Amino acid sequence: MEFPAALFPSYFGAGPPQEEGGPAPVAGWGEHGQVLEAGLGRRQAETTFVPRRGGMGESWEPADAAAVPLLPPNASCWVPSVAPQDILYRGVLRRKLQAGKYGAALDFTKQLSHFFVDHPEDVFGSLGQLLHQNFYLGNSKLRVSVRPAVTMPSPTPPLAAAIPSLCPLSSLQRQARDCTIRMTALREVIDRLEARRSCPRQHLVPRLRWFSHLSRDWLFEVPLGLLADCVHEDLLLQWASLLFDDSPTGGALAWLPPKDVGARTGRLVYPGGQAMNHLCILPCGVSLGREGRGHVALPLADTPDFQDVVLEELPCAQGSPAQFELNGRIRQVAAARVDGEDFVGVRSDYHCGVWSVSGRTGATPTPLQVIRTSVPASCLTVSPHLPGELAVCTQSGAIYLWNVETGLQRLRHDPQTMFFRDDSPWRWSDFTAHPRVLSCADRTGLQCLDTRAPERCHFDLFKVGEEAGCQQGERVVLPMYMGRAYSSQHLVTTQFSVYVLDERLPLVPVLKWAHMMKAPPLFAHLTPGGPGRSHKVLLGTSRTQELLLLQYRGEKRGSGVSVGLGGSRSACQLAGPPQKLHSIASCLQHLPAQLPHRHCLLQQRLGAPAAGLAAALQEDGLRESLLVFQLSEAGDCPPEPCASSQPSPAPQEAKRPEEPCASPQPSPAAALRYRRWMKALSKGCGDPPQRTRPRTFGQKRLFTRKELEEPSAPSTLHGQARQRLRQAMQDGGRIQRWDPPPPALPQPLEPAVGDTDPLSTRLTASWGWDWERWWEERTSFNMAQRQQALRERRRRQKRARGRHSLSASFTSSITYQSELSELSDAAPPPLSPGPPREV
Amino acid sequence: SSHEYKLNFKKSKEMCLSYIQDAMLQKQWKKAAEFLTFYIESLEKDFSTEYVSPSEMIWRIGTEILCHHSRSSMKEFNSFTEQMKSLGVKRYLKVCLEHTFHLLCNGLIDEAYQNLSLSESWRFGEQTVIQDKEMKLIKAYKGLLDYYNWSKQKNILLEHGQDGFEDLSVEQEMHSYFRKAAVNLKEIIKIPGVWDLFVKCYVDLLEFYGDHNEARQVLNEYAYNSKFPANPNAHVYLYQFLKRHGESKKSLVSALKILHEVVPSHELMIDFNIMLQKSKKRKRRRLGLEVIFAVLDYAGWKENVKAWSCLAKQVKQIVISEKHLDWIQQEWNSRKDWWPAFHFSRYSAKRNWQENESLSYEKALVAGILLGKGCKYFKYVSHQGCKAQVKRFRILKKFVNKHNPVYLRISG
Repeated sequence: MEFPAALFPSYFGAGPPQEEGGPAPVAGWGEHGQVLEAGLGRRQAETTFVPRRGGMGESWEPADAAAVPLLPPNASCWVPSVAPQDILYRGVLRRKLQAGKYGAALDFTKQLSHFFVDHPEDVFGSLGQLLHQNFYLGNSKLRVSVRPAVTMPSPTPPLAAAIPSLCPLSSLQRQARDCTIRMTALREVIDRLEARRSCPRQHLVPRLRWFSHLSRDWLFEVPLGLLADCVHEDLLLQWASLLFDDSPTGGALAWLPPKDVGARTGRLVYPGGQAMNHLCILPCGVSLGREGRGHVALPLADTPDFQDVVLEELPCAQGSPAQFELNGRIRQVAAARVDGEDFVGVRSDYHCGVWSVSGRTGATPTPLQVIRTSVPASCLTVSPHLPGELAVCTQSGAIYLWNVETGLQRLRHDPQTMFFRDDSPWRWSDFTAHPRVLSCADRTGLQCLDTRAPERCHFDLFKVGEEAGCQQGERVVLPMYMGRAYSSQHLVTTQFSVYVLDERLPLVPVLKWAHMMKAPPLFAHLTPGGPGRSHKVLLGTSRTQELLLLQYRGEKRGSGVSVGLGGSRSACQLAGPPQKLHSIASCLQHLPAQLPHRHCLLQQRLGAPAAGLAAALQEDGLRESLLVFQLSEAGDCPPEPCASSQPSPAPQEAKRPEEPCASPQPSPAAALRYRRWMKALSKGCGDPPQRTRPRTFGQKRLFTRKELEEPSAPSTLHGQARQRLRQAMQDGGRIQRWDPPPPALPQPLEPAVGDTDPLSTRLTASWGWDWERWWEERTSFNMAQRQQALRERRRRQKRARGRHSLSASFTSSITYQSELSELSDAAPPPLSPGPPREV
Repeated sequence: SSHEYKLNFKKSKEMCLSYIQDAMLQKQWKKAAEFLTFYIESLEKDFSTEYVSPSEMIWRIGTEILCHHSRSSMKEFNSFTEQMKSLGVKRYLKVCLEHTFHLLCNGLIDEAYQNLSLSESWRFGEQTVIQDKEMKLIKAYKGLLDYYNWSKQKNILLEHGQDGFEDLSVEQEMHSYFRKAAVNLKEIIKIPGVWDLFVKCYVDLLEFYGDHNEARQVLNEYAYNSKFPANPNAHVYLYQFLKRHGESKKSLVSALKILHEVVPSHELMIDFNIMLQKSKKRKRRRLGLEVIFAVLDYAGWKENVKAWSCLAKQVKQIVISEKHLDWIQQEWNSRKDWWPAFHFSRYSAKRNWQENESLSYEKALVAGILLGKGCKYFKYVSHQGCKAQVKRFRILKKFVNKHNPVYLRISG
């Protein structure tokens, strides 16, 4: 609680940040920052100094070679999130656009065309129905029988315009032909375009241009401009969230430590289920035993939106209460322990709920209250001081103090940011050392406000500006109250740095360090250290899954050494070098080898953005281990990575650790866990999800009646095909290839009598896996030579026919030979038994 | 083509950097050092104009590796830093400053002093704002080291002075250190910032030479200039100075009152409360109650026996005298909706009783007066105390029962 007797020197400026530049890749290395006199004793012979950064820290070593999955994979299938390549424009223009610094080029047309293809009924439904007689999809030439039905649809105005006005009062047949478009030709053109997609010299075909020009204004159900606006807007949103998605800020993973110090079973709270909408509260110890889970439905009635936030019905409990089904994706799970009871706050976009979990083992979590917001909530934090008290922020700029007993109190409602203008609607709020004072944050900084008089009593705690030595463009990403280490300290992360702030010394960070992470740290976790020990701060990013372990200290100094103001607290210092921990994706290389496509899928799955971070400190005599849990967006696991390790018992005397070997192998136990996890994954999500309703096509629209006509006498091939179709439909499988099933024994191929038709040679070639060469040959220039070769072959075949009866069993090899001779077009192979070539 | 070559070059350079970064973050310093040699080679062919220049990268990475590498020595570190100084003109001062810090942390004070005096005389073109700041810091640290030398000489003189022995040269040396230190320290503490260390040293110098007015002015400026950050230590130093010089109670109270307004949870508030409780003035005693209530609002003081005993003592006094019960009432009004859950829950009663008996005693007294004898905290603790046959708890129970009407008046 004491304030440090002396702080590290620093300049204090005011105003907007001066320092330019962006993310510096190595900015966190090599600096001591400042130094401070360590021993205050004036009578000591030599003064000693301590650095702000670079002092000795505890030595922690990873316990295993990579992260180890803790739970079986989330069985419900995971839909991969949007990747940049899905929505970015990839074509010839791209490089030009990049060169011109237009930023990212979004592939708008592709998205729109996907929409047209995926939802044709919605886009063209009614007009398609109206006009379908004007579209002809047959292959044969357009013939019109003179029937009133065909001429009935009056040509729509643009079509009518397309009809030459000179058209005389011709027969109905002529008119019908004029107002019907042959779609087959158009389709062919499109297919050809599709095939030449990567061709740099593709031109718009006049026919397509004509058609689109003609139909653009009226063909679409939804006006094209409007639709395009909507798609474009959504695309921009998707892109923005790809660049930086702040909805999982805070992380959807919490560890409730065991109540008794000796007990080993804490609880892990995490989202699961298909849409990450199941709240699982899992008792979990070192032995990682699992208990039964049930489902609880959470019915939420519609309530009128008369204010930003309304109270909602409680989720009722039924069955085993360790799992709750909520009606929204869980974005954040926050937890705090007050008076021996854990309070767990859960935030989804439009709902926030609070559960209480009493410390007794086996006690069931009870839902306490649910609120619904009309604007997505961006923050939910649980008070570490008072039971059942939470802070909620919404994207409309409102901050609420939520007490389970007394209800909601709106502290502030300001859509504007605090210190300068920033577009982000993200808001955050957390508790401070004073239970009645809340911190509230937006991207520009932090303020503390008294809930008893929120308008009058507030002060600035952190400002993106010269006060904290920020860079231009720096923004607050995640504030966190670090009351468990020091009751008045806060952690603030930005995309470039981490800051530790003290409420008693507002605006001036007591610690600042450039974290060098590739993405902004959205998750943070504090593991307080005991007296004389450093506090461990874990930072985690979402998209890149990075995990960083920092240590900092600011404890009471040994009272024996210093005279003067003995025993006062020292200023905050960063201890030891930062340490990177294994991410979820790191276990990929230790998983059993996979087929390439499975490996790809696995890579995608394990590389999914992280969604949360938690840690548990376990003490076992002198050994201490830190279990770090990381949750992925796929909702697998939380895998349990590493960082379990032991600090030396006396951290001050920690000698330099040995260098860890380059790539250690995982322990046998971990390997077993990997194998089990893989097995469960392939069992649970091996097959892609079946579409609920397979897409069907009316064949009548695609073929003419004549084409569909059944032949008078169905051939055996027909019969076979029908049989296979039926069989396939019964089995629910698919037909891999249409040719008849290969016979048990390869029939000796009869060399064709006389001239071989190109089809059979082609088939022969493809049988011999050399189709490509066959094709090349066919298109090659030396036709004459080939003719010669053919002639030769024919001669050979004639001869072969002569001894057919003798060499029946060799025919296959002969065909092979003949094939060879045909392939080597210029010179007949030496093996061929033919006479010397004659020209 | 050359464009492709450049692209590939850039890629491999970035990859090399990320390998270095990974190795460093996994504490594989040897590996990082090997990669760094490759990286330096790649930089020889680099003409890109990025914000972070390659020489800064090498300096930062190299320094960090040398700080942790198991076989690095101070000599190597010094030679590396000297090379780095000559590599980048822009960062010369920064590198010097960091070099000094490293020397200081390793106890090489004389080398650090030499280093500082060398860099102090460095000139190159027009100074940027940052360079100007760095130069001032260099001077300030030099002043600080001068101060330490001064205080060493002073100690020698004082020791010898006791023996009745006087050494003029030592004294002259001491005075010259004083002049050098004072000039530089005075300079830096004019600029807005956190200069706790420098201010303390400067004030010490001034006090030794009897320039109390100057010292007071410096401390006042440091505490009350609005351009400076709201640093609680500034107020603390001023208060300590005033106390050292036996200033009037009035000025002490006013100094601490300002500190109370700035940081209500400061540890000096306990002293302040004790000082105010003793006062004969009603207004000061009233302020004392306010101060101690405010201290106990903060989570950090939740289990502090001293703070609770201060509050208990004052509350008890007021209750016995039955004067100024309205003071308690006023303080309690803004707290009665959350203090019971924050301080006086059954859970904390149990825990306090188990962990700290005297804390539970003080808290039970306050709880019994503020919340009546029916309060959970009081009931639990007094019951346990009587069960354990501790005398003071029995007296406490009697006291609270006797003064129960007070509770009715406060809550009414």
